[in-house]
This record gives sequence, structure tokens and C-alpha cells, in this order.
Amino acid sequence: MEALIAQCVNGLAVGSIYALIVTGFNLLLLVAGVVQYSYAHIIVIGMYTAWFVMQVTGGGLLLAIPSAIAVSTVVSMLTEPLFRPLARKGAVNQTFVMSIGISMILTHVMAKHLHQGIPISFPDALSGRTAAIEFGVIAVSKGQIFVFFGSIAAVAAFMLLLYRTMMGRALRAMAQSPIIAKLVGVPTVRMSMASYGIAGFLGGVTAVFVAMSLGSAYPALADSLGIKVIATVLFAGLGNLNGGLVCGLILGMAESLTTGYLPGQWSNALAFAMIMVTVMFKPQGLFGTRI
Amino acid sequence: MEGNRSPILSVSDLSVSYGLISAVRNISIDLYEGEFVTLIGANGAGKTTFLESVLGMHPAVRGRVFFQGKEITNWSTDRIVALGLTLCPEGRGILPAMSVLENLQLGAFHHRRHMPESLEKVFELFPILERRRHGRAGNLSGGEQQMLSIGRALMAGPKLLMLDEPSLGLAPIVVTEVFKIVTRLAELGHTILLAEQNAKKALQYASRGYVFETGRIAFEGSAGELMHNEDVVRVYMGARTNG
Repeated sequence: MEALIAQCVNGLAVGSIYALIVTGFNLLLLVAGVVQYSYAHIIVIGMYTAWFVMQVTGGGLLLAIPSAIAVSTVVSMLTEPLFRPLARKGAVNQTFVMSIGISMILTHVMAKHLHQGIPISFPDALSGRTAAIEFGVIAVSKGQIFVFFGSIAAVAAFMLLLYRTMMGRALRAMAQSPIIAKLVGVPTVRMSMASYGIAGFLGGVTAVFVAMSLGSAYPALADSLGIKVIATVLFAGLGNLNGGLVCGLILGMAESLTTGYLPGQWSNALAFAMIMVTVMFKPQGLFGTRI
Repeated sequence: MEGNRSPILSVSDLSVSYGLISAVRNISIDLYEGEFVTLIGANGAGKTTFLESVLGMHPAVRGRVFFQGKEITNWSTDRIVALGLTLCPEGRGILPAMSVLENLQLGAFHHRRHMPESLEKVFELFPILERRRHGRAGNLSGGEQQMLSIGRALMAGPKLLMLDEPSLGLAPIVVTEVFKIVTRLAELGHTILLAEQNAKKALQYASRGYVFETGRIAFEGSAGELMHNEDVVRVYMGARTNG
């Protein structure tokens, strides 16, 4: 019973990270009109950044976290010109291909030039693994609590931006109709750029959470996360923000529970199973597409 | 006409194409502050393309556009709207998934500091919008959506208000209501440029007009002149207009 609860807690923590990644991904899909498969890769680059800064400064989080966020933001914005001609034409499928290309480059950079592709590990202090809170026989690490509530806070902040600010209104207008948004005076080019920045910022925050959750990073992590994001977004419905949140949590929970009760690598197959189920039974996703 | 003052909008020899197809050619129009001018012509004559081009939505192949003396040819649309030139597009162009209030707030993107007063003025003009302000914009009737479109344009504090086919798809009673509102705006001092297929209706309210035919200006003159021009009457005011 305790094991089940522990798995559920872990599932919520991991799931909340997936929900956060899916949110950034959906933002780019809805506003910039791009399928950013390499979003996960930018997140992992953020993790490497945090690690390098910690190496250089001797373990200080104060510099590492803002660095991760800054680098993720910048790298995300640097991809905008690559997508621009395709996004302009509305060639969403081609942006997917472009993002795969970018992901290959980023993976290569990580595998060959960042710590020679050897996995990097984050100190236990960061992952809060050592400091645990106990409810009877159940131990929940501080890291898990921080990640879960931190992800909620990040998503909430993003939703506040989207629904309570003028910029958010402009972003939503662009998602619903780029032409009407332009006609009403929304600076669509600048807003599109901003969406890359916001997604990158969220990605940097996510990088910190993943570092806390996983405790390590390696080049292949990027593709692994990337597939899960795509699977979740397809399962929920492309561009469906709320659906993405729910399905991210579902995937996290499902992975965590199967890790505990099924042998071997079955939990990794879940993402692929999601894609299969979606394609076979409900191509528009569980909650419907919004693009 | 209003000879001594300089025009608020001056379009000179404007030509716009969609690829190889010329949409409008050699359009020259002058609009003075406080005027209510109409562009009439059949569907496809180029009125919409013209208005959208003035707003910077289409690149000009030739010609120039001046607004309040400043050249705005090929400026980006957001800069032009920020200057005070707004368009209520054909088909209303509201965002159905957002609320009435959010649609209005969006209109104030470049005019944020004045949003509370602008909102008050719009609600005064259109009480129905205030009553339905938290409702989904897509649930409004055609006439109400037209009011929302106008209200949104007003939120930008416009110096020139352009309207594209405001009567499209509306019942005759509602059409009259819309024209009354536009006239009220003109009385309040707004400069209005209105494109209409319903020539008869438009010339009843506007003081001056230009007739578009296959991308060019075929006739121009005061409303009275156009209403009594044989060719104009024959082509544009013979049959009943589509409702």
C-alpha cells in the first residue's frame, strides 16, 4: 500500500513536469504555428547549463538556475528564424521536420561536446533526495514536493499571463486567427518572437525541475522526453492547453505505476502506446484539437 | 470640396496585386477630417483589397498612402493601427471564442491607457455589449457582432474608421440600425470610410462616394451626384440588393 502511494506521489511529480513541457510546446504550436520537437532538447541543454555553472561556481544554485533559464530562453528564440519561412507559409508539418533536424544537431552537440556525452549528475542537495518528509512509513522527498508545486506555480503563472494580461489576449487572438489579430493591430511578428521566448523561459524552469527529479542528464534524455511530449500532445489533442495538462499528469502517473508493477522497460512503451491508441481510435485526441 | 485643409487620408495612384492578378489599380482617394465617404461597387470590385491595403495588410505594387500627412505606404499593420487608422472587416472579424469584453479589450492594444474611458463610451453607444460583456462573442447575433466590431475599432481611439460591408448578411431592419449608428459616429466627429455593395443605402447616408469597378475608380462625386448619375443608377441601384 505504501509502495502504491509512493508511486502515486512520484507519478504526480513526474506528471507535473510533463504537463509543464506540454504547455510550452502547445504555446509554440498555437501562437508561432510550429511543432517544436526540439523543445525537449532545449530543456536538456538548460540542464547541462545548470550543471556547468554549478561545476564552475562550486555547487551554487543561485547562479545555476537563472543561467539555465536564460540559456533556454535564448536558444529557443534563436530557433525562430529557422522556422520563420515555414511558419509564414503555414506549413506546420514542415516545421515538424525542421524541429527534428534541430533536435539532431542539439543531440550531437550534447553527445560530442558536452562532457563528451557522459551522463552528468546533479548533487543530491539539488534533488532533495536526502531530505525527505515522512508520513508514517511513506517518504516523500522535498524535491518531489518542490517539483510538483513548482510546476503548478509555473503553469498557473503562465495561465495568468494568458488570461489576465493584454499580451495574453494578443497571444490567444493569434492562436484563434492570425489574420484578425493582425488586423486589430496586434504586432504579430513580435508576438510570435515573444512566444519563443516565453516557451524557452518555461523550458528553463522545467530544466531545473527535471534535474531535481531525475538527478542526472544525458544526450538521449532529450529524445526520450521529446517523444513523450509529442505523444501527450497528440493524445490530449493538438493545441489543447487544458487537455495537455491533464494528459501530462496521466502519463506521469501511468509511467510511475507501471514502473512499480510491470517488469523491465514497459513504462517507456506507454508513450508509444498513447500514440497508437490516439491514431487508431481518436485522432483528434481525448479532448479535441484546438488548432 | 474642403479645399484649404489637408486630407486626413490621401491615397495616390495605389496598385495592389495578388501575385500576377491585379486587384486594384491606380486608386487615388482623398478623405478629409469629419467626412463620411463611401466606396460602392459590386462584389469583387476591389473595395476590400483597397481598405486592407491602406491598413498595410497587402504590399503596394505602386502608389503611396498618406495618413495625417505622414507616409504610411507599406508600413506594418500594427504601426498603422497605432496611428489611429482602424478597420471593421467584412464579416465582422470578431473572435468568437473570446468574450465580448475581451474582444473590446483587444481593440485597445495600442490605446491601453485610455481603456476605461473607451470602454465606457463604447458601452454607452452599445448597451447590449455591456449587458453581454462576459458572454462568448460567437453567441451574439449578426447585428450585435457588427456593433462589437465597431466597438472594438473605437477602443483604438481611431482618427479614421473604415468599415467593410457592415450590412453584409444582416436583416434590413438591422442594416438601418447599423447605418444609424455609423451616422451617429459621424455626427460625433469621427471620419468614416465605408465600403458597401448596397449603393442605395450607402449614398443615403454618406456625403460623398467613389464607385469601384474591376479594381479601378469608375465614378466619383457627391452622394447627390452619384444618385442621379444614369450609369451608376442603372448598374448599382436597379435591382434589389441581396439581403
